[in-house]
Amino acid sequence: MNMNKIAYSVFIAFVASLLTLISVSALSSSEREEADDEGLDPITLDELAEHDGAESCWKAIHGRVYDITDYVPDHPTDDEVILEWCGREATEGWDNKRPGVPHSPRAEGMLDEYLIGRLVDEEGEPVESEAATEANGNANGEADSDQARLSPAEDERLHRALLGLPLDGRYRGVFGDGGEMQVNVQFDLRDGQLSNISYRHLAYRDVDYRRLDEDDDLYPVWVQHQQLAESLEGQPLTAIFALYEPERLAEDIDGYSGATLRGNKVHSAFRDALNRGVYSWP
Amino acid sequence: MRRWLRPGDIALIILLLLPLAVALPRLGGLAGPPEVWLTWVGRVTGILGLAMMLLAGVVSCRAPGFDRPFGGLARLWHLHHWLGFTAFILVMVHALALGLAAVPASLDAAVATLFPPVSHGSIWLGWLAWLALVVFLAPTFDFFGQPHYQRWKRLHLVSAAALLLGLWHALLLAGEAWPWWLLGIAGLGAIAWRKGVAPRRRHAYRVEAVDPLARGVVELVLRPEGGGIRHEAGQFVYLSPLDESLSAGRGEEHPYTIASAPSDSRLRIGIKDLGDASHALQTVTPETRVLVEGPYGEFFGRRFPERDMLWVGGGIGITPFVGGARDLAAGASVDGHVHLFYLASDSVRAYYREELEGIAEAHEAFAFTQHYSRERGRLDEAFLREHCPDYTEREIFLCGPPAMNAHLRRLLAGQGVPASRIHSEVFDFL
Repeated sequence: MNMNKIAYSVFIAFVASLLTLISVSALSSSEREEADDEGLDPITLDELAEHDGAESCWKAIHGRVYDITDYVPDHPTDDEVILEWCGREATEGWDNKRPGVPHSPRAEGMLDEYLIGRLVDEEGEPVESEAATEANGNANGEADSDQARLSPAEDERLHRALLGLPLDGRYRGVFGDGGEMQVNVQFDLRDGQLSNISYRHLAYRDVDYRRLDEDDDLYPVWVQHQQLAESLEGQPLTAIFALYEPERLAEDIDGYSGATLRGNKVHSAFRDALNRGVYSWP
Repeated sequence: MRRWLRPGDIALIILLLLPLAVALPRLGGLAGPPEVWLTWVGRVTGILGLAMMLLAGVVSCRAPGFDRPFGGLARLWHLHHWLGFTAFILVMVHALALGLAAVPASLDAAVATLFPPVSHGSIWLGWLAWLALVVFLAPTFDFFGQPHYQRWKRLHLVSAAALLLGLWHALLLAGEAWPWWLLGIAGLGAIAWRKGVAPRRRHAYRVEAVDPLARGVVELVLRPEGGGIRHEAGQFVYLSPLDESLSAGRGEEHPYTIASAPSDSRLRIGIKDLGDASHALQTVTPETRVLVEGPYGEFFGRRFPERDMLWVGGGIGITPFVGGARDLAAGASVDGHVHLFYLASDSVRAYYREELEGIAEAHEAFAFTQHYSRERGRLDEAFLREHCPDYTEREIFLCGPPAMNAHLRRLLAGQGVPASRIHSEVFDFL
């Protein structure tokens, strides 16, 4: 076999392998949606700053927080290069492996394994890169000026407010008792329907349910609360009254009823949120 | 012939391994899970592939004399061909290995490694380089039959784009830049020299005479306008006729063997009608200009100067031996005795016979035997033995049609002549 034929065979095999790789990837990726940021634990800059060394190294990259402690010894450079960015916003280091050269897509794939949460500021708002924030600010500004031009005959937001109907937007509310905040929920209303429901806080007697390990006795309580939130997703706002009978929403009621957190506390937090009014506009 | 490592080969191997040697400490070991050695394989094949591409460019410079350390231009073309195709294969292994190495991270990461967002421009430069390779190599895959030679030569210039893109790709991604600058400047410089400088450095000659030797065979006698070239017996040149009245091949360069002695003030070239260009040259107008580039080749490169020589020429393949015999006749000294066998179909086609017989009569160190296949069939062992009893002990030089070469190689191998003692420069379309 001469060289031309070998090269031609390799060429065909190469193209076939590429097509296989691409098609297999395309066919399987529909199962793996990107993790929604709202479902990630919020982590503040202060919390992040506590993990600033080789013994525990967290980094915030593009608004997400990664615990890369286990990976540090495997990084191809000297440890100092990677440890320099521990405990802080490290997007700059990530995007500039060498000046102007970002890390590879493969490195991004590896990074996902170490994802532990999303970066938030003191108010719990996501912290994004400056460029992204600016872009959002501009977009909102334009939307507001559009709204301002609406006549009273067209302004649906005005109509809902005057009738006492809850407006579309993001809501936050709490339930507190005995000098302790126990539930803090956040949700969005779109056309009167609930979405993006999450717990910003869930605790009782100094137990932070969101930080429990899977083998903890009280872990099922956290699972059930998540089920409550999930079952309300996409429901009309009135569905929050089902929280008075949480067995309608969550599965394992035995474990649930044995615990001290109850659906009515969650309901109360939802009502608090509605009383407070829109936290941020859609 | 290729089993002999020449000084040029050693230089080539050193240059080839240079970028790898510099990068190797950075690449780490092979031990570990599959993605680790796939990454290693991917990087090593990438480095070697680009180095081969650039060196294929370097050896294509065709500077007269540059081919000598490689054992002649024909052998250098084989090296070029081999380097180019191996590079093409390696860069594909390179891309696939690096893509597969990302599969353990995720399939998406694997695809994103090969086809990242446009912001990762360096990867796309690699793809463009590969695409350029495909464009100019595609004709050699024979989709549409044998490519037209001159068109193929023009298309081959796309290789410069492939080198440039590949080099750019490497400079953005590689840790060490200086080996790439070195090889890159050498490779691209060679192409620039070949296409830009070399055509202006060709030697101008005038066609003094067109001597017909037989039907479809002429000997061009060329008179240098300036200094002319200096050559050895058996070498060849690239000839570009400028005669306006030529029916084909005007301004195109084609290789022809020199049939004159180095001491001759004229350059004589035997040309047989084998294609459009050589057909047109049969009737080239005297006193028109031709441009000559060369000389090239190492036809009479001796490996066993202590031995006598056997020359076997067939058809137009007699020309390098005519050059050798005329060199002898002009008083050149040769190590050992020479016996030339001239294979032709009959006396009409033995167009150099009389001149060669004359040289043999006048010189003791040169013997000549004519062989007619129409009378005696193919040259056989008995005929060789009868006229040259010690032929198996000699250093042997062959030149002729491929079928004759193959027949003689078989015959000689059957008599126990080692391949290293047989020389032949074969011109094929690569």
